[in-house]
Formats: sequence, structure tokens, C-alpha cells
Amino acid sequence: MSGLITSLMRNLLGYSDTGISIPPMDNMFKPNNRLEAAKIVTRIDGLDDIAPTTDGFLCSARDALLRVSLGPDGARVEKLDRLDGAITFLAARADGELALATEKRGLRIGRPGAWRSVELPEDQARCLTAGCFLPDGSLTLCVGSVRNPASAWKRDLMQHGASGCVFSIAPDCGSVRMLADGLGFPYGIVSLEDGALAVSESWRHRVLRVETEAKSVRPAPMLSNLPAYPARIAPSAEGGYLLALFAPRRQLFEMILIEDEYRMEMMETIDPSEWVGPDLRQTDDPDQPLQQGSVRQMGILKPWAPSRSYGLVVRCDASMTPVESWHSRADGTRHGITATCERGGVVFAASKGAGELLHLSDEREGAQ
Amino acid sequence: MAVSDMLLRLRYRIVPDRLFGELLTKSWIDNVIPVLVLAVTVLVMTVLIPGYLSTGNMADLGRQVAEFGLIAIALTIVILSGGIDLSVGSVFALTVLTALVCMNVLGVPIGVALAATLGVGLVCGLLNGVLVGYLRLRAFITTLVTLVIFRAIYDIVFPKLASAIVASMPSSFLWDYIGFGNVVGIPISFLIFVAIALVVHIVLSRMRPGWRLRAVGGARRSAFNAGINVKLTVCMAYAASGVLTAMAAFLFSARLGSTGADTGIGLEIVILTAVVLGGVSLGGGRGSVGGAIIGTVLVLILSNSLIRMAVPGSLNQLILGVVLVAAVLFDVKWVKNRGKILSKVYVSPTYLALKERPRVAEDPVLAVNDRLGDAQQIGVGAVEGPEDVILDRDGNLYTGTRHGNIVRFFAPDYNTHEIFARVGGHPLGLAFTRDGDLVTCVGGMGVYRVTPDGTVHKVTDETNRSALSIIDDSRLRLPDDLDIAPDGRIFFSEATIRYEMSEWAVDALEGRGNGRLLCFDPKTGTTRTLLRGLVFPNGITVCRDGQSLLFAETWACRIMRYWFDGPNKGKRETFVDNLPGYPDNVNRASNGGYWVALLGMRTKTFDLAMRKPGFRRRMAKRIAADEWLFPNINRGCVIRMTADGTITDSYWDADGEKHPSITSMREHKGYLFLGGVSNNRIGRVRIADADPDWTAPDDYWGDAE
Repeated sequence: MSGLITSLMRNLLGYSDTGISIPPMDNMFKPNNRLEAAKIVTRIDGLDDIAPTTDGFLCSARDALLRVSLGPDGARVEKLDRLDGAITFLAARADGELALATEKRGLRIGRPGAWRSVELPEDQARCLTAGCFLPDGSLTLCVGSVRNPASAWKRDLMQHGASGCVFSIAPDCGSVRMLADGLGFPYGIVSLEDGALAVSESWRHRVLRVETEAKSVRPAPMLSNLPAYPARIAPSAEGGYLLALFAPRRQLFEMILIEDEYRMEMMETIDPSEWVGPDLRQTDDPDQPLQQGSVRQMGILKPWAPSRSYGLVVRCDASMTPVESWHSRADGTRHGITATCERGGVVFAASKGAGELLHLSDEREGAQ
Repeated sequence: MAVSDMLLRLRYRIVPDRLFGELLTKSWIDNVIPVLVLAVTVLVMTVLIPGYLSTGNMADLGRQVAEFGLIAIALTIVILSGGIDLSVGSVFALTVLTALVCMNVLGVPIGVALAATLGVGLVCGLLNGVLVGYLRLRAFITTLVTLVIFRAIYDIVFPKLASAIVASMPSSFLWDYIGFGNVVGIPISFLIFVAIALVVHIVLSRMRPGWRLRAVGGARRSAFNAGINVKLTVCMAYAASGVLTAMAAFLFSARLGSTGADTGIGLEIVILTAVVLGGVSLGGGRGSVGGAIIGTVLVLILSNSLIRMAVPGSLNQLILGVVLVAAVLFDVKWVKNRGKILSKVYVSPTYLALKERPRVAEDPVLAVNDRLGDAQQIGVGAVEGPEDVILDRDGNLYTGTRHGNIVRFFAPDYNTHEIFARVGGHPLGLAFTRDGDLVTCVGGMGVYRVTPDGTVHKVTDETNRSALSIIDDSRLRLPDDLDIAPDGRIFFSEATIRYEMSEWAVDALEGRGNGRLLCFDPKTGTTRTLLRGLVFPNGITVCRDGQSLLFAETWACRIMRYWFDGPNKGKRETFVDNLPGYPDNVNRASNGGYWVALLGMRTKTFDLAMRKPGFRRRMAKRIAADEWLFPNINRGCVIRMTADGTITDSYWDADGEKHPSITSMREHKGYLFLGGVSNNRIGRVRIADADPDWTAPDDYWGDAE
């Protein structure tokens, strides 16, 4: 009752319970249909991470490492290796050396059939979400969370996960150096021109600058207030970067994240596939939660409906300012973009939600 | 059930949260705060001043209230019209002079004196009224000028007649009786005042002139556009003000029998304070006689008490001024934020626990199939919102649309259609009478009957008002579905009494029993409420025994059976409980059982939210309606039950694009017809094991001859 009076007084004086707001998709994030209209390179079920090679791509999809070669008669997919579990990230060095990880066995460096295991603490090894080779040959890695394995990312979000870290491993695989910790699910990493690193911090919707040398400098945000959860970052030949965003932010999700009682009971009693929260794809399953704006009206699902999944790729300039974006909206299917890369001036994106490798059109092509 | 859940359930059963929001919707809520302030003031004064509540003091106060109150009502009328009358003090002085001259100097009969006094007041008021209403001068400056003019006239005339007034005393018994008489201890002037106040209150709140006055004050342009004579209304407000002020002056003269140079000076500010304190908004259009009286009493008590506590006059004025400013400030904030508060506190979710249910996919009967996948699509784009569908004896198909029409599709292929009737509201439930009239529940309107030639007649749009309901529940807000008993009685459901048709989703968020079951009896022509407190009662179908009916309670995911006749009359029992989705319409099937449309499926996350009323309330406050968590109403299906409620079949549209949510179905000659309130088509699908000759009209009313 006293709460009622307080709220009455606050309302009377013109204050109110603060509404929950999320950044609007506006300006450079203005929605379009370019991701939905993109050409399909190939369908790969469970496609997650991609790395460009001279003649195509290396892809990770579930437990398989695949090579996609681009030829005049379309793409050819061949399986290079099968690992002991789902591959959580993939990184390639210019000389062909690879790094990848699985939840069970952790980090491996080498080539298909000739892997060297790198010993890491178990809680870090099971949630390696992204990696990047530096010019000096050392490998930098993102650990999404030390509380949850990579596949339990929803749980980590709902637990307000802030246990992620970034570290580097020397070329001889000897010394491990912590670069940043206490992060909310770092999910992408790229080397900046000046030698520092850009790391996407998913649960805080931003991209951080992490120094590799000066240890005392705290990570500083380069791009914050993103309207979606960022995933992996890839360099662009023109000096900018490509950012994949794997799921949308919604007012309801932000509300669930502050509603402790509801969230705790949801985590305890309900299967994660039915949770209210971001997801990589929409399903027709009748058990799925729905938001009022997503009700199909007159046979149409509105593109601006508050869906749980979304497809978004953003091109940023060298200072990490967005300059261009590709969208797949609520009525589309190319959702859950987990990785992008640029190859020969063309942007490719991996839609984990749809299981498709996509060839994105360049806005400037149309302008010419 | 956990202890915390039991406490939560108990808390939501005991504390009637929703009443707070409902109270705020009432127009008299504006008066509550002035009344509280008044009560506190009286209490304080009783403590501070000994003998404050003595009869003498009260009688004295009563006489003062009568005089001041009449002027406050006068000013209220003007402020309601969107203006202001600063000249009331001068008009008062002038009319006091008139009354005294008539009685003391001229010695005319009291009736003539009253007429003359009121006449002078009317002329003064009309002057203001013509200037402000017809010549469109600013009310503030006009009445400020007339204040000065009337006062000047008084100052010129009064000295010449002062000695004559004092010199003689009228010998009228009535005059003295008005001034000093009591009826069972109550001053006669106070009784006169109460009578006038009652009349004015009824005129302002219950009659056309009052409504027009409020309309003009609230939104002048809209009032003009609505055809109200704005100029006349404004003019009459000032005229009424003059007459009422004159009446106050008459009572004042009878009490005092004399007047002075300072009569009526500063009166306007005192009255203005009283009126604003009473919740009459200076912006116009809001306020009441009751409020004005409360404000008057408050100001009189305040100023009399200050005098009795020997507070100097100037300080007294200062205090009144501060009170006026505070009242104006409060009024501005209140008017601005009342709607905001209302929109935030009206939604009042409650605790609703549904039983656990296994996943649909693991249930052999309910698992998603594609039996509706190749349904024939009828009228795609031609109908919007076919909530219910029905077929006549000839096999023609009828449905309501959100444009307010009933559309008829012609058998046998349903490729052509026509508008059968224009109802004006969205027709929801449909049923045929024995004679072939189509009866329909129309959202926001009531129950209507359409004859075979397409003419629309109202059946009913109101029921008995329940004694303890704060909101007016006599009007039908959202009649949803209906069915007709063998004797012609129409049983229908009203889904919610708290929300309009467009806000039905908010009712889902509340999860309370806001709905009811009603019956219209054509023999008596009256509608009666049978059951209250139902959780979104939706589909209704009369059972084959002719004595009972089934009705769906949507958010509670159950179907109830109610006996309206026979030995079990009045009995209510659960027919099917813990359904996998939200039941909408229920209709008879050819195999002796029933069809049930599930408009959406339950989700664990929404079931959890239904057990967390606080979460839902915060959700309604903090995030946009489009973002609210909802059950999955993009996935609906049709289920078939036996006569005892066992689910035997389910019919799904596997990809959920043609028939995402299904709100109704009818079986006809081996086919099933499907409707959806947010869909733009009707579906028709063959049922393998159905009786190919069965039709609903035959089942209800027997074979046609």
C-alpha cells in the first residue's frame, strides 16, 4: 500500500516508473531487406564460424571442419575433419595454421589431422568463442564465460554473465597472458591497425578496445549502445571492420533481465529453448513464447514485429563507427548471424539460424 | 503448491487492486481530495478551538455557507464554461443594495423585492455574458472592468440611500424568517441554498444545458463542431452567475438588514479560492457543485477559525492567498497526470495458476499434424476478422468482419459473396434461430438479430447493474459468443466488463474473472446476468439435452458446463480442464461430440507469468504493449471432443501461415469451416469420418419440412 501511495505521488508530480528503452534501429541501423535478398553460397546445417582462405572458406558447422571452394560452377563443400564435439570458434593464420576449440577438449592449433592440444584451465577451455592470430604469430582468444560452456550462452545471459576474458598465447604456446577480464560474454575479436584489439562484448552490447601492451589501461568502449547482441568481428580490406550481430535486443528481454524472480524460476523450471530471450532462429513450435506485436495479423507477420531473432551485419569504419548495415527482419529467416568475413572485396556472412553461407551485395554497387 | 505461491494467491484474492483503478475512472474522484482536506481541517480546528462544534457556531456557519456557497456555485458555472467572473463581488454589493432599498426604503412586498434583486443580478450577468459570449471579449479583462463599473455605481448610489436604509425596518415576517428562522435547528437560508444547489447540480450533471456547458468549457471548438450554440451557452453561464449572486445577496440582506461601503470587496478572491479548492479546474470543463460547496466550507472554516484565533486580518488574507496558489498548483498537476496514473494503475493482473501440462509434441492426439494444410481458402482478402462462421440450411456461409458487416458466401463453391447486413460493429458469435434469423454478438454494441432479408434489429445492449460494482456494468462491452436454447432464450457470454473490444489482449494480461454469462429472454424482453467472475468466457454451445450449455473460459484453459433448466438448474461444473491451449468457440460435431477452437497454445513462459501478477503489472507499466509477453496465438488448432469431454482428434495447419490462430469452426455436411479473428480468410476442409449429411440447423431444430 505504501508503494501504491509512493507511486501515486510520483505519478502526480509527473515522474513515473522509468520505461525500458532500447536503442532504436535508426540512422546506419535503419532496417532494410539486404540480408534477406542476399545470394546463398551454400547451405550448411549448423554453420557457425567462417575464415577466408585463398580459394574459398574454412567453415565450422557443429563438429565438422569444412572447406568451401568457390568455383565458376558454384560452391563445393568438402569435409576436412570431424572433431569430438561442436566447434566453438575457428581462426586461420595467413600461412594456413588453424586454431579451433571444442567444449570437451578445448583449444587445438595446427592443421586437419595434425592438431596440437593447448592446455588451458577447463572452465576457460569450454567456452572459447572467438580467436584471432596477431602479426607476431601469437593467438588471442575470447572466453565467453567461465561459468557456462559456449552452448549455454542463454543461461550465461540470464545469469548476468560477466566472467568472460580475453588472453593471448605466445607463438610457442608457452606463456598465457590475460589482457582483460570481467567481461560480459566477449564473442568476437579482431586486431586493430595500431596493434590493439577490438573485442565485442555481447551482454553489454558494445565493442571494446583492449590494449595488448600497456597492462594498466582498462578496456574502453569503441562502439556502444548497439541495438543487437554483437558476435564476431572481421577485418575489411578497406581498413574498416565487419560486425556480425546474432540476436536482437527487445524491451521484454531487458525487462526479464531485471525481473530476478521471474528469471530465476524460468531458468529452473523451463527448457532453454522455450525461454523468453534472444534466439538464433524462429521456430513454428507451439511451445515458443510470443510477444503481442508478433501476432500474425490478416495472414501477415509484420517485419517490425518484436521477434526473438534477427539478422544483422554492420560495416564499421576504421574508428568502429557504423557506416552500412544488412538486415533480415522479423518476417525473414536469415537470422542469427554469428560470423562475417570479407574476401576479394565481397562480404560473406554465416547465418547460424538458417544454416546458410550468404554473399552480401554491396550498397555501393547499386549506386554506381 | 509452494507456501509462497499460496500467500501470493491469498494476497491477490483479498486485496482488490483493481478497485483503485476503477475508482480513478469515476468523475467524482476529483472531489475526494478536497473532502479529505476538509475533514482534516475540521479535525484540527476542533482540537485547537474549544467549543468549535457547538450548535450556535454551526448555525452561523450554515448561514454563511448559504450565501458564499451560492456565489461559489455562480462562479463554478462560469469557470465550467471556460471563463471567469471577477465581478461577483460588485454584483453582490449592487444586489444587496437593491434588496435593501426595495424592503427598507420602498417597502414593496417581499416577492417584488426578490424579483427586483434577481433582475438586477440578471442584467449585470447578461452584460458580462453579451460582452464575453457574443462580442468575444476576454473574460478576465471584461469582468475586471465590470467589477470596477458595478462598484462605482454602488459607491455613487449607496451614500445617498445609506441613511434611508438604516432609518426604517421592513415589517415582513417572511423577510425576518429568511434571515433568522430555523427549521429543526437548521437555518432556513441554508435550506434554500441546499434546494438551489440540488437543482443546479442536477442541471449541470444530468441535463443537456449542463453537458453543453461542460463541452464548451472543455473543448470550445469541438463543442462548436458538435453543433452546440457556443455563444449562447457562454452568455447564459454569466447570466446564471448574476442571478445566483443576487440570490446570495438577498439572503445576506435578510440576515444583516444593512450594508456598508466595503460590502463585497475582496469577495471574488475568497470565492475563487473556495472554488479552486473544491476541484473546479480553471481550465474549464471540470468541476462540480459538490466540489464548490466543499471548497466554500473549507475556506469559511479556515478564515473564521483564523479570526477566532486572533490572527490579524492581513495575515488571514496572506494565508488564503497561499492556499489559493497551492490549490491551483495541485489542480494543474492533477488534471495533467490523472490520465497517466489511470493508464498505469488500471491494469491490475491477478494470480492465475494453471496445472502443468506435457509438451504438445509428446501427446499422440495433440501433436502437430497438417490436416488443415490443404484447406480450401475462402474469401482471402475479402473478409477481415471472421471471428465466427456459420452455415444456414441451404449451405450458405456467413461471417462477421471487422468492418462491421456480415458477409454471405454462396454455396456450393463459396467463390461469390455479398454483404448480407451492415451492423456497424464487429460481429463475433453467430447463431441461427428456429425461424432462420441470424443472431450475433457485436463487439462494443450488444446482441443483434438479422432477419433473412438482411434487416438488423437490436436484441439487447444492457443487463441489470450489479449492486457492488464500481464501474458501470449494465452496458454490454464485449459480448462474445451466443447460442439459442430450444425455447428461444439467447444465452451469451461477455468476455470482459473492464475493457473494450480493442483492448481484449490487456484482459489476458490480467487473468481475472472479468467476464460473465447472460441470458436474454424473448418472452419478457429482458436480459439477466447468470454468472459473474468468469475468466474471459468465450464460446457457448447448448448441449443436446436442451437443459445445459458449455462455455469456454479462455485464459483459464477450461470448458465449463452450466445447467439453466431441469433438475440440475443452476449447477456449474468443469467439463474439461487443463486444455493445451486457449479455447474459443465450442460447437456441436456430427458424431455427438463437440468441436473446440484453440485460438493459441499455452507456453510455459506465459503460464509462469500468470503466476507472477507483479511481473505482469510491471510489464504493463514499463514496456510498450507490442512488446508484452503473450501466449502463442500464432499457433492454433481445432480439437474434437466426445460428449463427455475426451479429446479424440486435433487439426493443425503445420506451417501456421494460412490458419495461425483459429477462433471458430462449424461442421456442415462432412466439411469443417474455420474462422480466425485476426485472419483474412475462411478455411474449408473435408473431415474423413464425419457424417456427410449432418447440418447444425437440423441438429438444433430438427429436419426442415
